Amino acid sequence: MQTSDLIRILPEIILAVAGIVVMLLGAFQKQNAGRMHPAIALLGLLGAAGAIAYQYPWRSLDPAFGGMLELDAFSAFFHILFFLVAALVVLSSSEYVAQERLASGEYHALLLFATMGMGLMASSNDLIMIFIGLEISSLASYILVGFRRGVATSSESSLKYFLLGSFATAFLLYGIALMFGATGATNLTEIHLALQAEQNTVTAMASPQLTPLVGPVPTALVGLSIALLFVGFAFKVSAVPFQIWTPDVYQGAPTPVTAFLSTGSKAAAFAVFLRVFMVALEGSAQDWVWLLWVSGLLSMVLGNLAALLQTNIKRMLAYSSIAHAGYILVAFTAHSEEGVAAVMFYLAAYALMNIGAFAVVSHFGNRGERYVEMEHYAGLGYRAPLLAASMTVFLLSLIGIPLTGGFFGKFYIFRAALHADLVWLTVLGVLNSAIAAYYYLRVIVFMYMHPAAEQIPVERVRPAMGFVLIFSMAATFLLGIFPQAVLDFASQAAALLLENLGNGVL
Amino acid sequence: MTWIHDHILTVVLFIPLAGAILIMFLPKENKNGVRWAANLTAFLGFLVSVPLFFWFDSSVGEFQFVEKVEWIPSIGANYSLGLDGISLLLVLLTTILGFIAILSSWTSINERLKEYYVFLLLLQTGMLGVFMTLDFFLFYVFWEVMLVPMYFLIGIWGGARKLYAAIKFFLYTLVGSVLMLLGILALYFINRSQTGVATFDIVALQNLNIPVNLQLWIFFAFFVAFAIKVPMFPFHTWLPDAHVEAPTAGSVILAGVLLKMGTYGFVRFSLPMLPDASSHPMVVNLMITLSLIAIIYGGLVSLMQKDWKKLVAYSSVSHMGFITLGIFTLNPNGLSGGILQQINHGISTGALFLIVGIIYERRHTREISEFGGLSNVMPVYATMFLIVAMSSLGLPTLNGFIGEFVILQGAFEENWVWAALAVTGIILAAAYLLWLYQRTMFGPLDNPKNKNLKDLNFREMMTLVPLIILAFWIGLYPKPFFRILEQPVQKIMERVRPAYYAAHPDAFGAPARLNAAAQPSASLETEAAAVRSAEKRAGASR
Amino acid sequence: MPPVTPVHYLFLSMALFTIGVIGVLTRRNVIIILISIELIFNAVNINLVAFSSQFASISGQTFAIFVIVAAAAEAAVGLGIIIALFRNKETVNADEIDLMKW
Repeated sequence: MQTSDLIRILPEIILAVAGIVVMLLGAFQKQNAGRMHPAIALLGLLGAAGAIAYQYPWRSLDPAFGGMLELDAFSAFFHILFFLVAALVVLSSSEYVAQERLASGEYHALLLFATMGMGLMASSNDLIMIFIGLEISSLASYILVGFRRGVATSSESSLKYFLLGSFATAFLLYGIALMFGATGATNLTEIHLALQAEQNTVTAMASPQLTPLVGPVPTALVGLSIALLFVGFAFKVSAVPFQIWTPDVYQGAPTPVTAFLSTGSKAAAFAVFLRVFMVALEGSAQDWVWLLWVSGLLSMVLGNLAALLQTNIKRMLAYSSIAHAGYILVAFTAHSEEGVAAVMFYLAAYALMNIGAFAVVSHFGNRGERYVEMEHYAGLGYRAPLLAASMTVFLLSLIGIPLTGGFFGKFYIFRAALHADLVWLTVLGVLNSAIAAYYYLRVIVFMYMHPAAEQIPVERVRPAMGFVLIFSMAATFLLGIFPQAVLDFASQAAALLLENLGNGVL
Repeated sequence: MTWIHDHILTVVLFIPLAGAILIMFLPKENKNGVRWAANLTAFLGFLVSVPLFFWFDSSVGEFQFVEKVEWIPSIGANYSLGLDGISLLLVLLTTILGFIAILSSWTSINERLKEYYVFLLLLQTGMLGVFMTLDFFLFYVFWEVMLVPMYFLIGIWGGARKLYAAIKFFLYTLVGSVLMLLGILALYFINRSQTGVATFDIVALQNLNIPVNLQLWIFFAFFVAFAIKVPMFPFHTWLPDAHVEAPTAGSVILAGVLLKMGTYGFVRFSLPMLPDASSHPMVVNLMITLSLIAIIYGGLVSLMQKDWKKLVAYSSVSHMGFITLGIFTLNPNGLSGGILQQINHGISTGALFLIVGIIYERRHTREISEFGGLSNVMPVYATMFLIVAMSSLGLPTLNGFIGEFVILQGAFEENWVWAALAVTGIILAAAYLLWLYQRTMFGPLDNPKNKNLKDLNFREMMTLVPLIILAFWIGLYPKPFFRILEQPVQKIMERVRPAYYAAHPDAFGAPARLNAAAQPSASLETEAAAVRSAEKRAGASR
Repeated sequence: MPPVTPVHYLFLSMALFTIGVIGVLTRRNVIIILISIELIFNAVNINLVAFSSQFASISGQTFAIFVIVAAAAEAAVGLGIIIALFRNKETVNADEIDLMKW
């Protein structure tokens, strides 16, 4: 272990330390600690972001821990995204934590740990590290989902998330084990080389008595392994047919946590998904592209159709998040540099608009999340014009109306897909995105075109929440009007990710 | 002054937006302040657009007032604006109708005034952008963004079934436009593979050579978007709902400008970018058939309406059928008539909706049977209605006649059956409009509620008078308008039917008429030679 | 007696995996479901160790240790969640955990 290795994981170290500090604070300081927690959490996130920035430019020529971690532009992009998401969630949950009397120390500590796990996922270039990062972030989010301990729905969704999540992790692990068995490697780049050479990596270190084991890669094992890996990742990104947990978990979880799961965790899962499939399994693309094709289409269709029927706004957003996973899979199916960049850009745009939307839902939900049905939103446009206006912006962006980040996200996705000649998938994709407009518009209809049925109190927006709303709105517009910078970042990262592959840099 | 001259389009485009932002910061309680601000903005928007008409040089075939700034270099999208004859007329129509629409809502809108004007002004910027932009990507942005304010206008200030109408409008148009986006992307990729340049530049995309098969696919992707917007039969069902439920200003804008975006799309994109598909017999027959169905069906349905506004809405379907008929005759007469008729339709149908709006504001009903004998109490109103109705049904000396006549000429040139069928549309128009007029304006004034109706006030007159003046101008002296259209029509013809001018040297927009120096080699030899000489002359005229 | 080859291990682990999956899908007691998931984790471990010895590479065994650690953490969290739910609903039967539609 060298200093450079430590610098590579400095962001994670900072987050872990900040998390522990936040947790211990509660033990030593009884009163008023609640106000310190978010501050320390934000400080930790800032420090971690600084540690990422310090390593600019992000090249992957010097991987850490014997190739286990790579802080390339790809992972830097996701790190920054996670930190942003976590910071916005911390800010937007300050009201919520106070209102629901949640244990503030543990809450923020778990958020930081989950973020740390996601960071590890984004930079890991080894199946072992991927598993560890995934577990760190998953375990923390299982608990976060059940954080409203006294509420049955919250514990219920926590249990569902936990059971199905670990079930999927088990599949993923089995896939990893089989991949290891087929190629003799857990490092993604080595797996890539082994699959390319159709020869396991034993040759490199074979001692005489092992020579019989040196041999070709068993294709059946690889195929099975790809299928299992796909199951694991598809579950994490909530793609059909492994989406079953999503609505229940998103509905029962505390709203800020839902925001976190639907943006941060999803992005982390896609980061790993991309890295594993585009780096390690790139050579056998013909084996998995059709899986993505089918799953992407089904996610769009089922997600949108189910969302049409929802009355609970959190559940509606959950189904919409399934549909959005579908759009992202469309770009993924293109399995090109453009496709990877489109996925990255979309995840960023989606994260910002979705956090904004959930922030509004969380604020408006009031104590005990009482007001989360669509009809509660009736007349909101006139009782809380600014809140409703920001919600409208986020919903329009989710629809994909131009001048918002959501539009450019979709545009890049469909551009990448069309460029890869996925004409039918693209056509079905755009039609889906048009149908999806209906259920987003329904919320707008309730807010502006229905008179309020009952007098629902709307609390004053606190500064932290106000900042989140303004920031996400500004960012949504920025990504919609001047997307150049983020897009450049994404496409350079994608280029770098795939370029190293061609050179066989280990 | 030169700065204004160089950036006039940007100024025209963003004045409404600036006004909208200004109004957002006005206090809600100050209703008259909001009204004045909106009206002044719209009037200013109209004023700055007037110089366009005088500065425009109709002998130049290229786009004028061009502005170009890089926007998203990595995909090749630019902020680029420019006008040719077609878009010039539509931009002017938009600024006039935009102002009139805002003026017409002074008293009819009393709730949520501020938001209303903000949305109307945003809509104005969106529409202007659609007509001005020279970048296909930017075009799409404006095209879609415009949906949002229109959606709110219908949904918040609309009539009884506003929610249904608003969502139907939004979803219909959205479905169409996302398919168009794919078409745009297809053209973009084709251009990139042929020239190596990633661009959405409309001029560049108009010079592609694409295999006919592919052209047909892209044509149908565009077709869905444009046909829904026009709307062509059978995509028209959103139109009556949206029109009937929208507030008056919304209807005026919708009929006057929004529908033109569809026909503009055909003229600007489908024809020049996909010439082989557009002139493909299958496509032409399909388009002409749909247009003729729209003309006759729209007329028949109008005849049966009991609701005044719905009648006007269906008459729009019929009139828009004329425009698409003209465009797809693919000859200079049809094309120029089709383009001019867009302006005419904007003027006369816009005015008809104002007429309906004025009476609706007084009586809060649009049932035709509720009215009768109005000419006794509202003589000025009745007179203006008469002029507007005549302009709409195509009486000579008024604008509708010119457009329809030229379109019919074009249709006759291709196939007399088309023209014959289209003429029934004019007859139907005369029937339903005159019958409407008779039922509402003449007869005994037997409904007591109508006895005390007030005639038009000054503001209401001012909304109608400019349109009536324009109607007479185009009806009596259309020459300047045709001159403006000559060059653009010629360019389209050279793309769609390159051999046409060689065979018809006297046709409208023929290069020979523009450049006397180039001798027309009229009696041609073979088609190939004709193409060559046409190209040569086109080059010379530039 | 034939020697034990990696294929034998593979079959053993597959059997465990299958038992685990069937357990998760058919049993209704969430604790049994949790145990079934642990079973799959152990199937993975058998695979990892077997392949590790086959390739004479240490990384498989290292991985197995990580998996054991993660499984332990997961069990702890899982049992905690189950207790939290039990306090609210007084049941550990998956069929009765139905506040929200599945």
